[in-house]
Amino acid sequence: MASTQLTDEELFSELKSFGFTPGPVTENTRPVYLKKLKKLREEQQQRGSRAGKTRSSGAIHSTTGGGNTAGSRPASHDVTHLSSSRRPGRKPSVLGFSSDESDAETPLKRKGLNHSSRVDRNSGFPQQLKIRPVTTPTVATKSPYGATSTVNSNNSSPGPGGQRSVSLGWGVRARSSPEAEGRDCDESGEEDDDYEGGTEKNSRSLNGCGASHLNTSKLAGDYSDSDEEEVGGLGAGDKPRDRLEPRRSHPKAEFPSHVVGRGSQTGGAARQVNPPESLNMVGGRRQEGEEDEVKRRDSDLSGVFRSHNFPRKSIYVSLAENHGGEAGKNNHVDGEDGASRSSSTSRFAIGLRPRFSNYSSLSQTYRGNHSNHTAPSPNHSYSQAVLKQKLSVPEDELLQQFKREEVASSGSFSAHYLSMFLLTAACLFFLLLGLMYLRMRGTGSSEVDGVSKYPTREKAEKDLILKLLLNLHDHLAHVAGTCVSFVQAQNEEFKDLILTSLEWIIRTGQDVGIRLTGHVADKPLTDVSEISQLESTHPKMPFVCRFRRAFLTVISRVFLIAAVVGCVWSGVCYMKYRWRREEEETRQMYDMVERIIDVLRSHSEACQENQDLQPYLPIPHVRDSLVQPQDRKKMKKIWERAERFLSANESRIRKETQRIGGADFLVWRWIQPSLSCDKTSLMPSKVWQGKAFPLDRRNSPPNSLTPCLKIRNMFDPVMEVGENWDLAIHEAILEKCNDNDGIVHIAVDKNSREGCVYVKCLSAEHSGRAFKALHGSWFDGKLVTVKYLRLDRYHQRFPQAQACSTPLKASASTPSTTNTTPRLQHRGAANSSGFS
Amino acid sequence: MSSTSQKHRDFVAEPMGEKPVMALAGIGEVLGKRLEEKGFDKAYVVLGQFLVLKKDEELFRDWLKDTCGANVKQQGDCYGCLKEWCDAFL
Repeated sequence: MASTQLTDEELFSELKSFGFTPGPVTENTRPVYLKKLKKLREEQQQRGSRAGKTRSSGAIHSTTGGGNTAGSRPASHDVTHLSSSRRPGRKPSVLGFSSDESDAETPLKRKGLNHSSRVDRNSGFPQQLKIRPVTTPTVATKSPYGATSTVNSNNSSPGPGGQRSVSLGWGVRARSSPEAEGRDCDESGEEDDDYEGGTEKNSRSLNGCGASHLNTSKLAGDYSDSDEEEVGGLGAGDKPRDRLEPRRSHPKAEFPSHVVGRGSQTGGAARQVNPPESLNMVGGRRQEGEEDEVKRRDSDLSGVFRSHNFPRKSIYVSLAENHGGEAGKNNHVDGEDGASRSSSTSRFAIGLRPRFSNYSSLSQTYRGNHSNHTAPSPNHSYSQAVLKQKLSVPEDELLQQFKREEVASSGSFSAHYLSMFLLTAACLFFLLLGLMYLRMRGTGSSEVDGVSKYPTREKAEKDLILKLLLNLHDHLAHVAGTCVSFVQAQNEEFKDLILTSLEWIIRTGQDVGIRLTGHVADKPLTDVSEISQLESTHPKMPFVCRFRRAFLTVISRVFLIAAVVGCVWSGVCYMKYRWRREEEETRQMYDMVERIIDVLRSHSEACQENQDLQPYLPIPHVRDSLVQPQDRKKMKKIWERAERFLSANESRIRKETQRIGGADFLVWRWIQPSLSCDKTSLMPSKVWQGKAFPLDRRNSPPNSLTPCLKIRNMFDPVMEVGENWDLAIHEAILEKCNDNDGIVHIAVDKNSREGCVYVKCLSAEHSGRAFKALHGSWFDGKLVTVKYLRLDRYHQRFPQAQACSTPLKASASTPSTTNTTPRLQHRGAANSSGFS
Repeated sequence: MSSTSQKHRDFVAEPMGEKPVMALAGIGEVLGKRLEEKGFDKAYVVLGQFLVLKKDEELFRDWLKDTCGANVKQQGDCYGCLKEWCDAFL
């Protein structure tokens, strides 16, 4: 059959003859349909020869099903993919898939979520549930799988490695359950090796009880903003926890910490934190009922893991506790949980959640997992061993998730202590420096050396001179001023030597501690006779005096510098203020100009319809109609600027003098003939225009997750004109949700390309209603989409929203007051019909 | 319920608008480039092809394989993604 010679029509009819209704045969679809035809022909021949469903089963399906079986096929395909494509050549498949799924955050979740695929295949794996301290058998069994896994690669020592692999398998069991029902199971089977072990039983048991809400958890996870605010998993995870746990606080408390600790462990050697710090932190934060466990945990940690791993773990343990302490405000996701579960565990979970959002499902599954096994072996050693294992379990999966978090957290802690240390060191240093400086000023006597070098003098004389000079020096040092011939009175012996010594001082030229000044200051002395004053260059002042002097000089200098800096800074501030003011005024002026133009234009249009009106408007009348009486004084300047601008730059308005009612008025006349295109080019202003699609389970989360929403595509920042368009957006949102009294904060991100608006509501229920009202609606010609945001991220971004608690109300004005232009009046009818 | 990727969920959650073809589940950089070279530069163009093939799975998979060399998994992902999108929005 020369199918290449078929025309489109022939191909079409051939396909039809096989009972298959093809779509249009275009250049794109032609090759596909040719292949189809070939297959149909082959299958026809085979059907004639044998009635088996071999390779052609697919063809049969295709012929019979057309699009009907398409629905079932993806599921089966996925399953087959799971089972077939995962195991063999895992590493190459990782590479092959990584090109598809290049999201940054998917590896994070995927690592944790891969193991659902493992569930199917781990039927033969030995039961590990009851095995606590056993490492060797599991290690042995795991070794064929886990040899190259990243988990094992992380564990450089065989001992902890074995333990970790055990705990990996153990933890995976817990994790696999929610993931089994449908998280991302696409990629990277890096940890798959380790997680195969023992997953099946646990996952099955969890699956049995948790399937339904795990499904919801999955769905809920989908609709939160995945980039930064991963809420879905959190909210969803609460449900499984709810059903699965028998409220064992003791082991549950361990879980998050272990998960955390494990995550911290994987941070890498670079992230070392001082062990004493971590211990302090751990020691500093205790919660009721957790003290013992914490201590035990610490000891376990220190005993089990190596030193460089330990600090991180304990830090994270303490972090978890710390965050547990702030659980109250972090508890937005599972509002209903707080009361229902044991406080410590919930706090742990909640505390962890904001930190490690992505792995929240893991922690929950751990808890669920643990609950299943608490009955079999609820003993202390069990929990202890669990601790150790748990710690290592989530390690690898959370590796990348935590990388950023860990860096931040450990960095913050070490930075905190480091900064304190540096600060104290600097203070000490400066203190020492100051003391040294003070001391230096007061000491120094080196003239003894100089004197001893004095040539050609007898010893006795030398001694005398020396004594004299020392005496003089000391006296001068004490007095610290000028001294005139006091020495002569002091000792007769010295009298004749005084001259020689002075002469010597002059000749020696070095600083012996005594300065000689003559009648004329600053002139180098050459002769003894010129000396009139002696001064000490190294005054020996008492410490207090020294200190005072130094202090005063320092303070005065500091003041001087501060004054200069302050002047400069105030100058800059003033300039900025002025500049801003001017900008504001210009903007107002333009706004005013626009309004004037609109008024005039509308007036001219009205004039055309109604010939009784004069085609011009007196300027003062225009001003008074546009500017409220109370603003007139303020706007005077702006008004004048607008007037000047109009006369200089606006060609469609003419200023003339008219006589109205006997008085001369300066009037404005609109002289542009009305253009019909003006009206048609008007874009729909900010109004709601109906819903694009009904909100059902598939495209919206089943329950509202947080009280914060991020609304996208409400505006285009480059297209927005006017000064208060963001207020118009506020109004629009409030008006759309006017039945919802729970909106407390709205923030318009003026610079975002996507037109984002952030909304905070009183509770998740309010936000859910707002979500239903807003998601998928048309606004201003754009399709609006809504996502949930995490409350703490929202607060990080808008700290002022934390204090807001009063519901906002739309202002009472009609929706068309966003612009004062009359063009809206034309569209008034259209607007009202557009409201959903 | 079969497992879906984050990409899939992101795509299906809202109207595709002007999303590039790489926003489709199963289509990464390499495949996306190939599709773009063939003229399928936006997701809605691929959607168009999907609809022209009457949402038939096998045909669409074959077409995808011929056009950009997608493997079985990628085909399945893309098909599932588009199908679900159509169910939600068409």
